[in-house]
Order: sequence, then structure tokens, then C-alpha cells
Amino acid sequence: MVNLPPPEILLQLSLNGALGGAMYGVAAVGLSLIFGTMRLIFLAQGAMIILAAYFVRALFYGLGVDPFLSLLIVVPVGLGVGWLIYQGLFRQAAAEADRNVSLLIAVGLMFLVQNLMTVIWGGNTAGVVTSYTASGIELFGVRTSFTRSMGFLIALSGTGLVMLFLRKTIVGKAVRAASEDMDAATLMGISPHRVNAIAFAIGISLAGAAGVAVATTFPFNPFAGFIFSLKALVALALGGIGNVTGALAGGILLGLIEAYVQFFISGGWTNAIAYGVFLLVLMFKPEGLFSRPYKKA
Amino acid sequence: MSRPSQWIAIVVVAALALLPFLPGAVDAYYFSFLFFVFLYAVMAQSWNLVAGYGGQISLGSHAFFGLGAYTTAILWSGNYLWGSLYDSHPNIYYFDPVTMLLGGFVAALAAVLIGLPLLSKLHGDYFALGTLGFGEIVKVIFVNGGDFTGGAFGIVAPASSFDTLRPHYWVGLGLMVATALAIRALMRSRYGLALIAVRDDEMAASANGIDTLKVKVAAFAGSAFIAGVAGSLYTFYIFHVGPDSVFDLDWMLLPLMMTVVGGTGTLLGPILGALVMYAVFDLARIVVPDYHPVISGLTIILAMLFLPKGLMRSFVGKARTA
Repeated sequence: MVNLPPPEILLQLSLNGALGGAMYGVAAVGLSLIFGTMRLIFLAQGAMIILAAYFVRALFYGLGVDPFLSLLIVVPVGLGVGWLIYQGLFRQAAAEADRNVSLLIAVGLMFLVQNLMTVIWGGNTAGVVTSYTASGIELFGVRTSFTRSMGFLIALSGTGLVMLFLRKTIVGKAVRAASEDMDAATLMGISPHRVNAIAFAIGISLAGAAGVAVATTFPFNPFAGFIFSLKALVALALGGIGNVTGALAGGILLGLIEAYVQFFISGGWTNAIAYGVFLLVLMFKPEGLFSRPYKKA
Repeated sequence: MSRPSQWIAIVVVAALALLPFLPGAVDAYYFSFLFFVFLYAVMAQSWNLVAGYGGQISLGSHAFFGLGAYTTAILWSGNYLWGSLYDSHPNIYYFDPVTMLLGGFVAALAAVLIGLPLLSKLHGDYFALGTLGFGEIVKVIFVNGGDFTGGAFGIVAPASSFDTLRPHYWVGLGLMVATALAIRALMRSRYGLALIAVRDDEMAASANGIDTLKVKVAAFAGSAFIAGVAGSLYTFYIFHVGPDSVFDLDWMLLPLMMTVVGGTGTLLGPILGALVMYAVFDLARIVVPDYHPVISGLTIILAMLFLPKGLMRSFVGKARTA
């Protein structure tokens, strides 16, 4: 039998896992939107997050903009960049029946962004250290850092805003309709290019928000993004592809799994177990853990 | 292939096979360049078999490449195969066909074991995601394999057997030709027709009495076998097999890219794609060493924007599927 550690430690583990997992979650929400309308696994999402993190760092050390304040810059810039990426790179490929083409454009974009970052900022690990980086908060006997909690808040509010947009606005409804059935949505007068571009714009602006959270919490390097994309994919599958709140929940669940595996088994096996859970969910509950099973027409 | 192009192919292969006899060729830069083109062409054919002809997008080829490489390195460094013969013939594992085939078999076995559950349950993107997850799991297993796999450092094979790049070149060329011929024969057989039928319409294929799962798993295993043998060949070149080098995602992404640039589902597309893309990458590496991965990324994007159907279908006229 395993000796259970004291409850404070379990609580601390859960908190750390959930806070870290929220970062995967917010990346997964972006992937989910893009996958929903375009059926594209946007592998470059992680690279975009790291790019945003470098941008936040440049704003902080160059212009003295507070990292959390830079959300006001990064998120709108992300919207614009996402729109441009779709119009410039994916518009043509979205019409192709062969989806390898869009997948490869995403891979090419990932290579490009990763290596541009290396050329501009060097390959070394970078970080953002502010006056409050080391400060922590204590809640119910467990400690957590201020920046991690802010990252969690960013993830929650980002997902919340996307949810509101999808549920309450007519454009959001169009995006949801398109991800359920693009052909039927097109027949209702929804332009596929418009919803695709909107999904991309929101996806990349979420990458921007995640970039702020990453920059303030973790040290990062130009190549750290890919593993983020993979983790976001796992979160996406856990939550159910196309389910936005599920994606965030999937990210948090993945964070919890990682934290517990690291503590109880070994850090070396974390990834194998995370991907093992991913495979099992894909095979036995492909609609995700947080969706009601539905019948396909 | 029509008769004249058959003759062209025979002449090109013969010229390539005789190239190492040219004075100075072995030490020339293009010699190792060609070796890598052959290696990538084999990997591209492997991906093309399951994804181009079979329609099952696999993102796990690097796992099979790595399994083949590790099998070779483990058999060799632990001398599991030839016992006391190894003492009298210290180079017995070097380009040993049995060792290379075993590399392929181990990869194929893994493909059957993972392919049966994945392919019976998952379709399309879900299968692609599943194979990606599988690749990462295999990598972690090898990192944690202890002394057997050499952990995070990996295994070093006796590099003293290296003498010249000639055998690498010939075996690479031979593998490339053999793979192309085997796939050509396969695609003209009943089995190849079944594979195309499954790709084009799985339900119709199964209504016509094709065991679709069997066909898909067989294509996946065949693809893995080719990748495993290629991994084995790479071990003889690199001598140090480590999780970060042979399970690198590039072993999946680059062949995938080469196949798509050359033309998926065509016989010569993967070879042409490997030649063109590796030339672009290598040229970038020489001309602008600091920026070469940037150029590579840019090339992929440009190729996909302007040649989404691949070189074979865009330039070489009516491309044949077999």
C-alpha cells in the first residue's frame, strides 16, 4: 500500500496541478476553436504562445510595460495576427479536400516562428522577472505564487469571454453552427472564410493571453512551444473536441494528472502516462470526458 | 511506368550505383548528400504507403524509425544475435541483413500491436492524434528503459567498424529502389486495389467484402517495417542512438513534407520530394547557416501555398498512382 501523504500536501499538489493545467487549457481552447471550424490540428499554437511570451518580455524590458497590463496590447494584436494568418496562409488551403496541406502549413509556420525567435532572441532560456514574481498568496493553508494565480485567472476569464461570445453573439453562433456542420452552415448563408478567420483570430489572441501567463510564470525558450501544442491536444481530447469549456477542464485535468504522477510515480513517466490517458480517452470516449455522448446523424 | 520511363529509371539507378567508383566521389560533399536523400526517400515511401495510398494519416513514423534504430543498436552492443561469432568477426553486425530485417520486424510488430486497437476504433484526425500520442509514449519508454536502452543518453555502437561511406550509400540506394519496386508491385496486386478502395470509400470497400481493418493494419505495419529498416541503416551511420535523436519528430515531419511536396499517392513523388526538399534544406544550411530553419519553414509554407497537389501532379503531367 502507498502511504498517503498528509492532506495539505494533496491540496497543494492539486492546486499546483490545476494552476499549471489551466495554461494547457487556454491553449486547448484556441486549438478547439480552430479545429472546430477548419478541422485543422494547428500545431503552431504552442509556438504562437511562446512568441507572445517573447513579445511580452520585449515590452517589459524595452518599454517598461507591466506584463499583465500588456494583455491590453497582446490580445488585440493577437486578434489581428490571427486574422492575417488565416487570410494569408490558410484561406486557400481551407478549400482543399486534402487536409495535409493545412497541417503542413501549420508545421511550416511552427518552424518559421520557432527559428525566427531563435534568430532574434537567441536560443537560451529567457524569462520575465518583475517586482512581484517571487511574491505568494496563502489560502486555506496552501501557498501559491501570485503570478500563477494570475495565469489561472487569465485562463478562466479568457475561456469565459470566448464562451460568452459563442453563446450570446450572432457571429459566435455562426462559428458554433459552422463547427457542427460546415455544409449546413454554408447553406444558411454563413461564409466559411469568415468563421474560419474569426476562429483563427480568437485562437491566436488566446495564444497571446496564454503567452502573458507563460511569460510571467515559467522560463521559456523558442522551442518550448511544441510540447505546449502536444499538451493542448491532450487537453482537447480529454475535454472533447469542439467543446470549449471542456477544453479548459481537460487542461486542468491534465495538469492534475501530471502533478500526481510526478509526486507518486516519477517525473520521468509523466508524459507517457499523460499520453496513455490521451490514447485511452480517444479510443473509449472520443467525445471527451465532459460531454454527453451524442448520436451522429 | 511506361517502357521509356522504365529505361530512364534503370539508367539513373545504374549510374547512381556506379557513382562510388568515380575517383573522389566518396569524399565529395554530394556523396553524403545522396545518402541522406536515399534515407529520406525511404522514409517518405513508408509514410506514403499508409497515408498516401491507404488514406490513414499517421503521425508516428518517427517512433518506428526509432524502434528500428534502437533494435539494431541493442542487438549490436549487447551481441544478442551472433554469440561467439562476434569475437572472430567483429564487424558481423555492421550492415548485417538479419539485424536490419529484425529492426523492421520489431517496428512492424509494434505497428500491429498499436494499429489493431487504434485503427479499429479511430478514424481520420483521431487516428492521426493517436499515433502522435503513441510516438511520445514510445520515446518516454526508451528514456526510462534503464541499462537496456541506455536511458536519456542512449546507446553507442562500436564506431570502429566505420571505414567508408560506400556501404551506406549502396544500401541506401538499394533500399530506396527495393521499396519503390515493392510498393509498385503491391499497388498492382489485389491487395493494393483493396487499399485504394478503403482509402476512397471505406464503407463501399467493406460492402464489397474487403476486411478493411486487416487491410489498414497491414499497410500500417508495412509502413512501419520500411521505417524500421531505415532506422537500422541510420544506426550504421550515426553510431549513437539516443531518444532525442532517433525519436525526433523531424523523422516524421520531414518525410511527410517531402511526400506532400512530391505528390501523395504517387510512386515517384516521395523520391522527387526527398531530393528537392533535402536539396533546399541543405542549400539553406550552407548558404545562410544562421537562418536555415527559417528558410525551411518558409519553403514548406510556399510549397503548400503554390503547389498543394505536389510536384508530380503539377509538373510531371498525368501522374500515375501505381
